[in-house]
Amino acid sequence: MEIIKSKKEYDVIVVGSGAGGGMATKILSDAGINVALVESGPYFDPANPDQQTQLKWPWESPRRGAGTNRAFGDFHMSYGDWSLDGEPYSSVEGTDFKWWRSRMLGGRTNHWGRISLRFGPRDFKSKDFDGLGENWPISYDDIKPYYDKLDKLVGVYGTKENMFNEPDGFFLPPPKPRLHELFYIKGARKSNVKVMPSRLSVLTKRINNERGICFYCGQCDRSCSVYGDFSSSSCLVIPSLKGGMVDLYVNSMVNEVITDKNGRATGVSFINKENGKDYKIKGKIVVLAASACATARILLNSKSNAHPNGLGNSSNLIGKYLHDSTGAGRGVFIPELINRKIYNEDGVGGMHVYSPWWLDNRKLDFPRGYHIEVGGGMTLPQYGIGWNPNDFNKFFGLRTGGYGDSLREDVKKYYGSTVYLSGRGEAIPLKENYCEIDPESKDKYGVPVLRFRYKWSDYEYKQAKHMHDTFEEIAYNMGGIPLGSKPTKEDNYGISVPGEIIHEVGTTRMGNDPKTSVVNKYERLHDVDNVYVVDAAPFVSQADKNPTWTIMALSWRTSEHIINELKRQNV
Amino acid sequence: MMKRRDSIKTMILGSIGASMSLKSCITSEDKIVLDQVWKYSYGRTQDELKWDYKVLTGKFFSETELLTIEKIANIILPPNNYGSIQDAGVVELFEIIAKDFSTPAHNEYGEKVLRRGLIVFNELSNALYNKDIIECSEKEIKSIFDDIAFNDNEDDHLQEAIRLFAVYRGMVLTGYFTSEIGIKDLGYKGNTPNVWDGVPEEILKDYSVSYDQEWISRCVDQSKRNDIAEWDEDGNLLT
Repeated sequence: MEIIKSKKEYDVIVVGSGAGGGMATKILSDAGINVALVESGPYFDPANPDQQTQLKWPWESPRRGAGTNRAFGDFHMSYGDWSLDGEPYSSVEGTDFKWWRSRMLGGRTNHWGRISLRFGPRDFKSKDFDGLGENWPISYDDIKPYYDKLDKLVGVYGTKENMFNEPDGFFLPPPKPRLHELFYIKGARKSNVKVMPSRLSVLTKRINNERGICFYCGQCDRSCSVYGDFSSSSCLVIPSLKGGMVDLYVNSMVNEVITDKNGRATGVSFINKENGKDYKIKGKIVVLAASACATARILLNSKSNAHPNGLGNSSNLIGKYLHDSTGAGRGVFIPELINRKIYNEDGVGGMHVYSPWWLDNRKLDFPRGYHIEVGGGMTLPQYGIGWNPNDFNKFFGLRTGGYGDSLREDVKKYYGSTVYLSGRGEAIPLKENYCEIDPESKDKYGVPVLRFRYKWSDYEYKQAKHMHDTFEEIAYNMGGIPLGSKPTKEDNYGISVPGEIIHEVGTTRMGNDPKTSVVNKYERLHDVDNVYVVDAAPFVSQADKNPTWTIMALSWRTSEHIINELKRQNV
Repeated sequence: MMKRRDSIKTMILGSIGASMSLKSCITSEDKIVLDQVWKYSYGRTQDELKWDYKVLTGKFFSETELLTIEKIANIILPPNNYGSIQDAGVVELFEIIAKDFSTPAHNEYGEKVLRRGLIVFNELSNALYNKDIIECSEKEIKSIFDDIAFNDNEDDHLQEAIRLFAVYRGMVLTGYFTSEIGIKDLGYKGNTPNVWDGVPEEILKDYSVSYDQEWISRCVDQSKRNDIAEWDEDGNLLT
């Protein structure tokens, strides 16, 4: 097989351009360090009219936006979802895991909900509180300065709330609540559930002259063409390319970290997806940010004499402790919201209000918390609207179904009358939940693929049950009717399939002891002193917070560490 | 980066044979396809363009089937001042979805659901009137729909027809309300740059909810949205 080698040696090779890789690329290249950024997908810029989906109307798609090619619909900005042609994965019998892959510059940060929550002091030391899982080797104080810098660099709206485990930051002002969110506030307060402005990385106010300000189209999931929301490509990578220190390789699938006979990394090999050829590039340091499971896969596939069971895997823990957020949700019909007067309430691309975890687990039968997200409103119609035009007639003792002009009135009558409540909770990381190399299967490039084994424990089921009890209480207290029936034990309390919430973390967990962890507190492999991991793989636990803000704060911290190491010529 | 029109051309060429020159192999039929694919400009990747090309070419329904769908669709949702089923492109949507929902996951949706619907509706009209739907009067079709359009009919023999009718109704309404005229009819006001500054005062008055002062005093002052954010060291916004 022909392998094309480049003679150039980079200071740092960064693998993956999402939250972690984008941040590392920016911090390192800003410090004058030579970076090769290797991304498995194509170049992406939401300002490019050939790629833009923002402000498109449903009829601009032949299928009116239906989810044939993109799981969340045609306009959703992720190239790739839970399945990719020719790149399979599997689950051990009796278990199920769904693996999301966004193959594009900026990765998943182009489609995410922009929910930007700091982990709190407790989140780093949960074991001290309930004896479960493991503590992080770092504390909130170690990471706080990076969260602070991140808030100012990237921008996040929110409010100071002085809650112990929901640390405040440098916030932009939040948008005012929408009508259905006022109903939620009323219902949540009546149910004694804390409710406050959400914290989203959307620019409600200018932070610099390079990025635009939110113009309230409600479409952050399409990635903003004026960079009014945060995505790694728009806000970190594309600006970094202008500095002249970054070589960007797109459509380049890294399959292995190359090591010398002593086991130190010397570069990476990748497959150019356009011509199918193999390439090798050299670097003094390799920074992996391919996403938790893809990074684990690369490391496990990087076998050598020095690392017979995968690079950095002397602990045999790579892939282990994989965990995703728990999820459950319920729709609520609000009879008071029928026949709405219509005005533009698109707002930002996500909720304006939410509920952080508000209870004390010592008084509950499950150990970790969850937050509640709120959706609804008179949103842009898309494929599926009007499908069951008058289902809610049943709440008024009227017939459902039919045909004719009355259907038109039914669709209008019920438009904007449904609110969606979603819980996102913390799972206990277990060694028994993992990804590993499947000895039976390879992808279309000939690279061995992943097999998953993931099962929720009773802790997560009980948490999901609690979510549903809470949803019902809030639903009634906001004057609504919960839709469908409440899931029971037989329905696993309606808990999401692992991977569905797309917050998977933990496959190269961080720790001080090389026997019980894969990377140290600076996200460097215990076994190899020039390989780092800056995606969500090093997470010891993922809190009931979305991982992005912590991925980026840690990546910034690690990047500073790398800069110092390079200055001291330690590597 | 390759421009969209060029990439579509390359794709069509690729499907015919890369060795031929552009001039000699773009037939008039290809040109129609090219314009058809070009009509939809919504940020596709190369692979998605190839899929769209596949979906927008070829034919699933016969002319008679399409006319039958049009007839049914117009009874499910009759025209009004905003326009008709034809104006909303609903029949084209049936044709496109039949070809689009053709992955294994869709389990032959076009054949087993959409075409099956026409077969079952025709069976009903033949049983009652000894002719296909296309030949029935509006009144005759409505008499059939009266049996299968409502969810409370428990007649065992009609359950499949009821299920299929619900799909047709769903397709018609979703097609209408995702079209330009349907969205105008619905009255949706967004998908355009604006400045959100809360629920309009008169709307708040209509409902038993209000903004609490403490909450909105901390919300964005839209007159200062263009001032670059600065904070003191405790994170208090100064601008």
